[in-house]
Amino acid sequence: MRPAAESNEFRRDLVSVLPKLRRFAMTLTRNAADADDLVQEVCERAITRNHLWNGEGRLESWIYAMTRNLWIDEIRKRKVRTGGGTVDASEQDELSIEASGEKAVYANQLQKMILSMPEGLASVFLLVNVEGHSYREAADILKIPIGTVMSRLSTARMRLAAMITETTERRA
Amino acid sequence: MQNTKGLALEVRLSAYIDGEVNEAERKELEQLVARDDEARLVLEMLKAGNAFGNKAFEEFLHDPVPLSLVRRIKQGPGVNPKSERVVNAAPRQARLRLWPRALAASIALLLVGGSTGFIIGKTGNDGAAPVDMAAARTWLDDIADYHRIYSRQTAEHLVEVPAGNTKIESWLASSIGVNFALPDLSDKGLTFEGARLLVAAGKPVAQLMYKDEDGDVFAICFLKSRPGTTDGKMTESMRDDIAMISWQKAGAAYVVVGPSADANLQQLADAVSATI
Repeated sequence: MRPAAESNEFRRDLVSVLPKLRRFAMTLTRNAADADDLVQEVCERAITRNHLWNGEGRLESWIYAMTRNLWIDEIRKRKVRTGGGTVDASEQDELSIEASGEKAVYANQLQKMILSMPEGLASVFLLVNVEGHSYREAADILKIPIGTVMSRLSTARMRLAAMITETTERRA
Repeated sequence: MQNTKGLALEVRLSAYIDGEVNEAERKELEQLVARDDEARLVLEMLKAGNAFGNKAFEEFLHDPVPLSLVRRIKQGPGVNPKSERVVNAAPRQARLRLWPRALAASIALLLVGGSTGFIIGKTGNDGAAPVDMAAARTWLDDIADYHRIYSRQTAEHLVEVPAGNTKIESWLASSIGVNFALPDLSDKGLTFEGARLLVAAGKPVAQLMYKDEDGDVFAICFLKSRPGTTDGKMTESMRDDIAMISWQKAGAAYVVVGPSADANLQQLADAVSATI
């Protein structure tokens, strides 16, 4: 395939995964504005590096890993800017970003509840339970140990179950 | 497969739900759930959390993806999303950078408008001109304007003749001078809503309207033209939030119109071209 045609096809594929990519980005950033910025940056990078995509496996996995890396970079920059100093790589999965507040824009109440979960839970749940990635794939995308995937997933499920009760009580 | 022995019960049962435990552990956990009420309750909670989470995450997919982002990706190399994003990040700076562009664009528009007026004036007296590339741009602009208005109409005003009227094909074919078969796009998730007769670039145009499950409106428009050398070649263009794929084939010019956020417009155009 000619490079130009290849690039066009890649961009088409990228557009088709945009809604899912944005959803994944939301689980990382936990607010729509940051998620949109992140998605934009990821797409820009993916297009310039599309020659690195070998076409094997799921495009989402490749893009998601890139998204996660960019977000970690962004968190690190923010920490430095706000006087937090450099960030130890071992801490990067546990960095805390404010999930609620006036700045956050949520499409609806359900989304708000999902995004209010402690950091890291929603991403794992999305990858494994919603999108069917294996534990290994999720661990590779998020660069966390499989054991962390397992514990976060069960915690996410239990929290989501608790939300059913909260929702029911709120309606009543 | 994971070894979950020694881990918390909810972690083990969670892995069991995902089929990530080995056969021996699977049997052990099934026996545990069968005899232990607490284990059974935890399993039910995990499953309930799954269902609730799936539903909530489904909602995320209904959020509209920013059109500007889709456009930037589709338009490809040469577009620098970061520099355009400055508009949102730093409005004052963006305005400073934008005014020379706006001035240049105005001058360019003036030149294009002037020359287009000259061309129209020139060809207006030439009799029936074919729908060539220059004219096609004009009729596509009209179609985009129509689509922008009609796609926002309520169901009762969306079309002139609703689907189900058996004379749609013969009416439009005789009006525009192009025989066609009404494309069935149900396998693309589109329902035929009806048709209109429009005028674009001074020529009668048939417009077939479809809706998808989300209520987004798609249109197929076509008019008579002289067969050209670009027969069958598809051209994609965008006008703000509207994407268009146009082509010429066997004495007619066609365009498929839809939201620019739709990623499958090309497949739709292929299907229309093959069946209409």
